[in-house]
Amino acid sequence: MDLLHAENINKHYGGVSALRGAHFTLRAGEVHALMGENGAGKSTLAKIIAGSVQADTGTILVDGKPAAISSPLDAQRFGIGIIYQELDLFPHLSVGENIVIGNLRFREGRFVRFQKVESFCRPFLEQVGLDCPTSQTSGTLSIGQMQLLAIARALSMNARVILMDEPTSSLFDDSVERLFRLIADLKRRGVSIVYVSHKMNEIFRICDRVTVLRDGETIGTRVIAETGAGELIRMMVGRELKTSAARPEIQPSGEIILCVVNLSTNKLHDVSFELHRGEVLGIAGLVGSGRSELGAALFGVDPRVGGAIHLKRKLVAPRSPREAIELGVGLLPEDRKLQGLMMQMSVIENSTLAVLNRLQSLGFIRSSRETAEVKPLFDDLALKCSSYGASAGSLSGGNQQKVLLAKCLLANPDVLFLDDPTRGIDVGAKEDIYRIIAKLAAGGKAVIFVSSELPELLRCCDRILVLKEGRVTATYDSAAATQEKIMAAAS
Amino acid sequence: MILLNLREFRSILGLVGILILAIAFSPAAADGSRIFLQPGNLTDILRQISVIGIIALAMTYVILTAGIDLSVGSILALSTSVTAMILTRASSSSYSQHIIVAILAALAISTAAGALNGAVIALLDIQPFVVTLASMIGIRGLAKWLTGNANIDIGFGRDVAAAFAAIVRQKIVVIGSYLALAVMFWIVLSRTVFGRHVRAIGDNELAGRYTGLPIRSIKIWVYSLSGLLSGFAGVLYAAENHQGNPNAGVAYELDAIAAVVIGGTRLAGGKGSIPGTIVGALTIGVLTNMLRLNNVDSNVEMMIKAVIIVLAVAVQRQRIAE
Repeated sequence: MDLLHAENINKHYGGVSALRGAHFTLRAGEVHALMGENGAGKSTLAKIIAGSVQADTGTILVDGKPAAISSPLDAQRFGIGIIYQELDLFPHLSVGENIVIGNLRFREGRFVRFQKVESFCRPFLEQVGLDCPTSQTSGTLSIGQMQLLAIARALSMNARVILMDEPTSSLFDDSVERLFRLIADLKRRGVSIVYVSHKMNEIFRICDRVTVLRDGETIGTRVIAETGAGELIRMMVGRELKTSAARPEIQPSGEIILCVVNLSTNKLHDVSFELHRGEVLGIAGLVGSGRSELGAALFGVDPRVGGAIHLKRKLVAPRSPREAIELGVGLLPEDRKLQGLMMQMSVIENSTLAVLNRLQSLGFIRSSRETAEVKPLFDDLALKCSSYGASAGSLSGGNQQKVLLAKCLLANPDVLFLDDPTRGIDVGAKEDIYRIIAKLAAGGKAVIFVSSELPELLRCCDRILVLKEGRVTATYDSAAATQEKIMAAAS
Repeated sequence: MILLNLREFRSILGLVGILILAIAFSPAAADGSRIFLQPGNLTDILRQISVIGIIALAMTYVILTAGIDLSVGSILALSTSVTAMILTRASSSSYSQHIIVAILAALAISTAAGALNGAVIALLDIQPFVVTLASMIGIRGLAKWLTGNANIDIGFGRDVAAAFAAIVRQKIVVIGSYLALAVMFWIVLSRTVFGRHVRAIGDNELAGRYTGLPIRSIKIWVYSLSGLLSGFAGVLYAAENHQGNPNAGVAYELDAIAAVVIGGTRLAGGKGSIPGTIVGALTIGVLTNMLRLNNVDSNVEMMIKAVIIVLAVAVQRQRIAE
């Protein structure tokens, strides 16, 4: 009998549907991979099973009986534990406290007896091979050790099912090996593992079956021994997506404006590429592949440890965003809420924040000049807002992104790094952004376009650079590129 | 950009409410008029709120950057002490020169104290609460050490110190300088590049970094201004109370913060205004005046103030939620 069965799961975030009738079946004692591109809904499905996100509609059966899982505590009662990508430990509490806190199986009075914590935790720590005192502060552990602690905690809650959301994304090689041995060991003890990942080699190594999601729907389940990487990539990408050649056939013949040679940071290794005026260079890669880190390195956020950046034939070394902006580099950051917008401030204040120096005289902002400067840009971007005085926080995601794009463009950069500019925005706003990118390139700017969506890269870019684990694994002319080739180079 | 957005200026409702109460409960004078509404009483209120009101202007900037300045009361005490020490020292220069030197020295040392706060916060990246808590203690110590922990009295005679007090404690000087500073801080915040930068880094400092804003220098400026205005408030305090007092200004930081918060400025930064802070200071001033005119016990006065602070902020929250 199936241990766990999820049927017809639907989930919407605002107007965006994350899951549309997804289904998933887990057998006892198997390692089951959950695959899909970024945004396919695999993490959302895992969180729904673990009770940390509630589905809009859908049924979950555990041991064939309907299970109402509406909180992580409910999931614990059904023997379901989850190891998040961003580990949910309390860094200032001790290893032992992290295991017993909120643990239904560890019951005692109001006072914690440390002897009892030790005897409760030790078997589970031994089981995962974490050799540290229960009194150690968990924040002092390495990332790999913290992950083992999270697994020990799940085991201590008597988990029969452990969901792991991209568990190797932040691990180094030896920790990955240790994790794989532990997974094999857990499987022998009859624990089922749901392994969320998009790394092909890992899945073929440790998993028994795989379920592929795409655009929130379950595409199919395969037995690992009976499938291949090619089939899985086709399932993930889908065949109906056409690669329309909306990009005009103007080959960038402009001078080389940016030349990056063996650039290395903590997260990047020997990245080299050239960028011409009038060119749109796509960056493809999974989350954690180093695509955002490339922007951070060019923009002076992450310190360089090696390599060189030549901008307009000059060797440059921006050490802060301020210096990068002065050199003519613009960055549209990945997380617009965290790194981009001042939510309390108005649309116009956000857009001109980087260029106030040229809109002032004697320190006073010339509001007429400010409006005159942004109006044509906002019109061009088709920005929709009740007024330019409306707060940025009141705008939709797409319009917020347009305000940020306007802010980048006002600084008139030569090289513009757009980090996933279409993430979480509606189709109309996406089209506006594609149009602006094409226009910028036609006007002699050089654009670096990072995206999780391959079709838009194929459509908008002249060339596509594929990153994986901080290294360039392939470069394609977009005419020669296909989604299958890119996925193969990225995963 | 409009200077004053009425929709966002809700703190004034609280002030109107308190004003109505103050008029309604005002005791009558001999001629039957209400004492509260007499010009002398109204200007008294303005003079009484000026010291805290001036400190609260710069405190608004500090809080807008998502910071806090707990050292303002200690800086005020240092400023009163320095002013009185220099005034009571013999000098061959003219009275006017002597007074100017005393005031400038007090302002300079106060500004330096604020700049030090700002530098430690910006360069060492330590929480403003911790840094200014430390300087609140340290600067109080400096003031006490300089004066030997004794008040330096400014007499009522014919010497330079008495001349200083006679000039600076006039209502027109006190209220006039409060109003002038308020207008300046209002315009700088709403119209200038600096003012916009102040709000921006309080709204989202990380985004400010990605925008290339000079975050460190903005912070140093803001805390320097806080020191400067606390020092200026100290000069007014010395004249009003006829003394340099190293123990002056205890808990003034809390009164200034209360004025800022009643005025609708977000303690988390990024949103707030100078008119709001003026209204906040007036609200506290009118409330205090009303209670004193009615001979309410000063301990009860504190309890009532506590309720008013929470109510004023709660009313604004409610309206924002709508």
